[in-house]
Amino acid sequence: MATKAGLRPWLSATRCLWKSRPSVLQHRRNVFTSSDEPFPLQSPDDWQLLQDRRIRFKMLVDLFSEHGSTVTRDNTFQPHHQLHRPLAPSEATLSALIAAGAHFGHAKALLNPNFMPYAYGVRAGITIIDLDSTLPLLRRAASVMRAVVERDGTIVFVGTRPDLRAVVRKAAERIGPQAFHVGERWLPGTLTNKLQLFGRDVANEQRVTPDLVVFLNPMANAHAIRECAIQHIPTIGIVDSNVDPRVVMYPIPANDESPRTAELITGVLSIAGREGRVLRENKERSKELRQSRYKRGQERGSTRYVADTE
Amino acid sequence: MNVLRRPPGLSSFRFYSTQTTRPFVPPASLNHFELPQRQREKPRPASPSFYTARPDFYDQLTSLESALRHAKNALTTCHLLPLPQFARTALPPRVNAWVDKRELGLKLRSNLTTSRYRRVVLVLNELETYRAIAEKAGIVELQEGIRSITELFERADAATMLARGKSKPVKFDEYGRSYTLGKRKTSSARVWIVPAQRPPADPSTTALSTQATETDSALDALLNPHSSSKSNEHVSVAQILVNNTPLSTYFPIPADRTRVIHPLKLTGLLGAYNIFAIVRGGGTSGQSGAVAHGIAKGIAAHEPAVATILRKGKLLRRDPRMVERKKPGLAKARKRYTWVKR
Repeated sequence: MATKAGLRPWLSATRCLWKSRPSVLQHRRNVFTSSDEPFPLQSPDDWQLLQDRRIRFKMLVDLFSEHGSTVTRDNTFQPHHQLHRPLAPSEATLSALIAAGAHFGHAKALLNPNFMPYAYGVRAGITIIDLDSTLPLLRRAASVMRAVVERDGTIVFVGTRPDLRAVVRKAAERIGPQAFHVGERWLPGTLTNKLQLFGRDVANEQRVTPDLVVFLNPMANAHAIRECAIQHIPTIGIVDSNVDPRVVMYPIPANDESPRTAELITGVLSIAGREGRVLRENKERSKELRQSRYKRGQERGSTRYVADTE
Repeated sequence: MNVLRRPPGLSSFRFYSTQTTRPFVPPASLNHFELPQRQREKPRPASPSFYTARPDFYDQLTSLESALRHAKNALTTCHLLPLPQFARTALPPRVNAWVDKRELGLKLRSNLTTSRYRRVVLVLNELETYRAIAEKAGIVELQEGIRSITELFERADAATMLARGKSKPVKFDEYGRSYTLGKRKTSSARVWIVPAQRPPADPSTTALSTQATETDSALDALLNPHSSSKSNEHVSVAQILVNNTPLSTYFPIPADRTRVIHPLKLTGLLGAYNIFAIVRGGGTSGQSGAVAHGIAKGIAAHEPAVATILRKGKLLRRDPRMVERKKPGLAKARKRYTWVKR
């Protein structure tokens, strides 16, 4: 009585018409309905049909993507960007570190007293790491990395968790033949027992001692850190609030449990390493150029070019 | 906060060198010595996973994983991944026999532990799944590309391994005879079955004289070979010979005869096949059971449709019951001596 549709609104004409709406779309179901409705797959033609439905659905999505929001997959953050498109040392900002969750430490009760200078405070029972100290230390570590690579040093990235495996592999790949990675368990004696682990030929004839080792989870690699100290190898490490930062030479106080933080920091270091390699290559090239010019000058007998005292 | 508390992993290690590896010599004094080749002049290791001490294995695992990633990207481009659940169930079940741990270690040139072997097998299984998807969808190049990788790791005797536990198919010779074995207790029977030649049907006979009368007459003929009342119209030539004697002669006891004929009666094929059996060992009931087992396997080979009926009737199963041994302290297998109070 009160409503426009009468005493029983659920029997109204408008509601009856709603039921017929899906049937209008039925004959065009290949385009508009979900591409994942079950249907029997027996012949290769059925699989072709599955692919066609998906292609048509994607075409529809692409068609409408041109209208509406300008935020697309290409210009927004995607999780795989951290690994494949890392930041340069100059592009690393506090916001990037916070977004990666680098400021989350461990529980207050596990705080190492030597970590106190890098701790901002405690919130919700968790130590918050002071990123104002993390950022300059990260840049310092990046400078060390760049300098070592520029002087033809060997770098080893150590990340012994399953989620860190791809990170260290990518970082070593980015720097080139000077960099190595250890994504599995570090075998004790890798640096102190080379003869036995690698064999006499390899240990004597190849350059086995690295010049810089980067630890993404120093807590689990105490043996490796000790071996580096015995062999006088400088180390960089991501130290968390439960770790004494003095175990490594260049600590980077940050969250060691977050894969995103590890990707960010390792990415920054690997870009610095690549810069060092490029600098070295440029230096080599200019040196070769000078030497070739000098040689040509010598052959011609001209004293135009002064010999380099290299 | 407990100041004395230290993290468990690092508390027991010293992080400074306690012993010098060499005594300190001023650099100026070193000019007089022939030092070994300087570190910088030596070549670097070639593999990026050199410091894992197992570079060969990890490099090959990395290349397998990258092949897997390429296959996944290719299938995603073809809109086949991610595959919905109903399509995944439509794929054939994965049947692979990968090489064992020792063989794989030889192929990858490093000793494998079980965990490392499982890691490789995991990648191979995923590659095989992608290959099956590519095969079903008809993408030939991708399927062949993946196959070229997976066939390197497949066992040479894969077919034999996968056929373990499955019974071999019964073969027919040039005359269409099947040869099967049947066993019961200590008897074993060798049974040859061949389809019986049917006499041409008379046009004067009615359609109602069907299998029922044929079966009855055949049963009659088998069980009573010497009876004079034989119907001449639909006598089938199907016979059962056991050790070159007719069934009723060899098994005088009706129970044994019924046991032999039971598979044929159950499936309604009583007059359809000629059966010749050679049976050795055991006694009457064992031999009749063995012949019945052989007949059941034989007719299941001739007509696969009746296999379900025979399996339901438990005729295809070799009866595992054997005579139980006598035990000391007992009169027979289970019979105890009379209990005496004192």
